[in-house]
Amino acid sequence: MTNEAKSGQTKAAKEQRLKSISKKGLKTMQKNRNRHVVRNKARVVKYGTKSFGRNIWLSTAATVVMAITLIILFVTVVASVILTNTAEMMKDKIDITIYFKPNTSQEVLDELEGRISSDPNIKTVDTSTSEQEYEKFLKENENSDDILEVIDSEMAAVMVAKMQATMRIKVYNVDNLNSIKQIVETDELFTANTDKEMAPTYDVNQAEINTITSWARIARTGGIILAIVFLVISILIIFSTIRMAIFSRREEIYMMNLVGADKGFVRGPFLVEAEICGVIAGVVAGIVSYFGFEFMSPKLTKYGIDVSQINSILESNQLVLVFLVFIVAGALIGRISARLAVHKYLRKT
Amino acid sequence: MILLDSVTKKYAGDTEPALDDVSLHIEPNEFVFLVGKSGAGKSTLMKMITKEENPDSGKIIIGGIDLDYVKKRHIPGYRRRLGVVFQDFKLLPRRTVYENVAFALEIAGMSGKDIRRTVPKVLELVDLADQAKKFPHQLSGGQQQRVSIARSVARQPKILIADEPTANLDKLTTKEIIDLLKKINDFGTTILVTTHNEGIVNNLQKRVVTLKNGKIVDDQKTGGVYKLDEAPAPKRPARAVQTPGHALKTRRKVI
Repeated sequence: MTNEAKSGQTKAAKEQRLKSISKKGLKTMQKNRNRHVVRNKARVVKYGTKSFGRNIWLSTAATVVMAITLIILFVTVVASVILTNTAEMMKDKIDITIYFKPNTSQEVLDELEGRISSDPNIKTVDTSTSEQEYEKFLKENENSDDILEVIDSEMAAVMVAKMQATMRIKVYNVDNLNSIKQIVETDELFTANTDKEMAPTYDVNQAEINTITSWARIARTGGIILAIVFLVISILIIFSTIRMAIFSRREEIYMMNLVGADKGFVRGPFLVEAEICGVIAGVVAGIVSYFGFEFMSPKLTKYGIDVSQINSILESNQLVLVFLVFIVAGALIGRISARLAVHKYLRKT
Repeated sequence: MILLDSVTKKYAGDTEPALDDVSLHIEPNEFVFLVGKSGAGKSTLMKMITKEENPDSGKIIIGGIDLDYVKKRHIPGYRRRLGVVFQDFKLLPRRTVYENVAFALEIAGMSGKDIRRTVPKVLELVDLADQAKKFPHQLSGGQQQRVSIARSVARQPKILIADEPTANLDKLTTKEIIDLLKKINDFGTTILVTTHNEGIVNNLQKRVVTLKNGKIVDDQKTGGVYKLDEAPAPKRPARAVQTPGHALKTRRKVI
């Protein structure tokens, strides 16, 4: 073997040994670092919390805007739910009421019910004879003593004789009642028994339902747009807050990097700071939304708006879940915004 | 302990390299002054050691680790093995003296108990035990530099590099800082100090490496004195000093 070849082999062996030593050393370093993950994370949270306190004014501004965003999101969801529910409730209240001559027998009513039920749009059919209608009347007025006082047996007999037998129909689709109308107007049994003095009633509250449905749509669309606008504003404010914090601590960050702070140690506190903003905003928004809804709920009910679904959520164990959603949403907005800022301005660290 | 073998670095846009074929070997426990005028390449060399910059060519081995294998994810861990002292101290302004020193230990993952035990000892070493609760702005320049040194030695690094540690200090304070570095060196830490200060270099009589235009033009192994103005201009190709790094390079050229 020539001297040159020997020298080459020695060199390669040295290189290999150096590589092995370096890799072993680096592996040990990584291992040591991984041993303290929990402790380090706790310290990052501590630094982030301190940082939140140091930038209290900026942090407060960011928190307020984020809370407003979350409240708008809540209002949007609630408005959409209660308006949709109200429209559904009103749809459910619709009766097509068909009046028949007094004293129409139960057998005839059953036959009429059978014929109308053949229409696929029919959801439910409820019939009652003149006697049953009279009973209903009495029940509806059981607390009205002045009315009950004037009804003696003679008057009761007159009332029963005069009261129409009725058929109340609920349908699946209120926009398409033509087929039902056709049966009522053309079927022989119907035409023979309907009371000519009391025309059937169709489309009750349809105009109101349409109005509420369109409000629900507007609330949903408008709310989403407004929420997106505020979401963007929140993200920008948090982004700026973190950016300013990064710029004001540039020297500090440089020093942290040089003394061997891990990426997580340098970036983590900024993320924690934004998350704290988000969590506080979530709690504030949750409290404001809860009490705001509690305050508004009776007023809305008075106007016939159905708040039962939201009420049942807020009065049950799900309230905790709602609060959690607020907090997680806030923390998420904070984290995303801070991540954007950190990614943009601390990329080199 | 520190080995640079034919290291060259040229910054984008510069006509001349900041470091040109520099080879240097520093043994464990050595105390070395790196002297040179502004732009000589001292800071670039320091940045190479701290892995702030990478060489265009050549090899750097620090504490047995070839920096070629130090990837981005390894850098924090690698830097924690070094002690770094800055000219402008680079203390955390909103933390007390104690917290500044503790911070270096916290990022290394040391437990709270160990930190509480270590920091007072380190502060005592730098004679700042009674200033622990003060903030950097309440201290003199010399005291701030001692905090910086305390922070860098708290993790007991085997290598301590100090970039112009006395540049902003008066004569008396400079002597105190150098005495402190000497004390740390006596405990077994390898120390590399860049400086312009002729007085401290001549006074300490340690190894002195002189950089000029990105090249090592002089390397006085012992009893070194500051003779920057007398240092010869580097000739190209320059081989100012024969170091083990050069020997390695020579062998490579043969190959």
